[in-house]
Amino acid sequence: MSSHKTARVARVLSGALRVWGVSASVELDSEGLVMRTPSGATLKITPAVPNGWLVLRDACTLGTHAGLPGLLRSLREELAPEAAGGRLIIGAQSLL
Amino acid sequence: MSALPVSVVTGFLGSGKTTLLSRLLRDPALARTAVIVNEFGEVGLDHLLVEASDEEVVLLEGGCLCCKVRGDLVRTAGHLLARRARGDAAFDRIVVETTGLADPAPILQALMTDREIAHALRLESVIATVDCAAGDATLDAHPASVKQAALADRIVLTKTDLADSSALAERLRRLNPSAPQLVALHGKVDARRLFDGSPYDRPLYNSESHAESGVTTFCLRRSAPLHAVTLSLFLQVLAEHCGAKLLRLKGLVDVVESPGRPALIHGVQHVFHPPAWLDAWPDDDRSTRIVVIAQGLEAGWLQDLIEVLDDEVTACSIS
Repeated sequence: MSSHKTARVARVLSGALRVWGVSASVELDSEGLVMRTPSGATLKITPAVPNGWLVLRDACTLGTHAGLPGLLRSLREELAPEAAGGRLIIGAQSLL
Repeated sequence: MSALPVSVVTGFLGSGKTTLLSRLLRDPALARTAVIVNEFGEVGLDHLLVEASDEEVVLLEGGCLCCKVRGDLVRTAGHLLARRARGDAAFDRIVVETTGLADPAPILQALMTDREIAHALRLESVIATVDCAAGDATLDAHPASVKQAALADRIVLTKTDLADSSALAERLRRLNPSAPQLVALHGKVDARRLFDGSPYDRPLYNSESHAESGVTTFCLRRSAPLHAVTLSLFLQVLAEHCGAKLLRLKGLVDVVESPGRPALIHGVQHVFHPPAWLDAWPDDDRSTRIVVIAQGLEAGWLQDLIEVLDDEVTACSIS
């Protein structure tokens, strides 16, 4: 993945942390991204092959996700379990 | 049978909702209107004041419309529709008047999603009354009033004879730039300008970002078409993580799989209408335009979110 695209993912994760009210930092490193929480925990997020994301806490794998939606859900459950999670509801009413 | 238009009249306590409705119901343009009003407390004062609504007024008992009697709202609307179907009641439009303390979002969601009524109704307009004499102080002190104005399709300024409305009007324009503002003196306003189509007719599609009273309004733009899956994932992520922070979202989306036929999308918090596919673009601009009204969400974050999701969908399509 290009550094440009990884930087954009880092911005998305940083923004998500703000939405959840979590004061962690997101940094780029040679393999992907590193997320550091105030409690000292470090999460490493690296691109998986062929697609998706691998999340590691220290040496332990927390999960592999096919894409950003799964990654975000996993990080919210890990870092902000108290943050309200909603679900998309599509109504029955026609727009037009 | 075509869907019946339903409008919601909201606005803080004393802002003139009932005065407005009372006048509107005398307008021949709204002669065939059924009104659902709500009382807050023991006496249904609002009900007593809506003079022209006759037997079509149904009073919801038992408290605030948004948090306690959504079921009643649905049942009441269902009863009205059933009476109309039997020929016992003749009306071509429903207007729901909320209490002054109501958050209109759950009311809109109930109208959009309930399986008993949603298919028979078409959300026409959300109208918010704002009192020019007390509006500034109310917006400062009551978050519910901010949300009412932010969610509105049209804002009606009331009591303009008591105070200069220009500063408040400007504040409301920052809060909700896409809502046309109308002035009602003692409830008098042109009904056709309040009920003249759907809320999807005229979303503001400029790039300017506004912030007021903790509410930001901005427009996401993208010149390249989006994959349909990207749009679906984007809405899912918003619903899952942003919840109540997303007040309203309206947009036209250029979808890869539907060239020349943009998708019209609309949502209130985590509840969305099914996307509608237009036969053609409404103007020469062929870019995706999504207007977001939110509390605590950043335009740049949502723009990056769309790009990352589409990158991932594109990569999956290729691999």
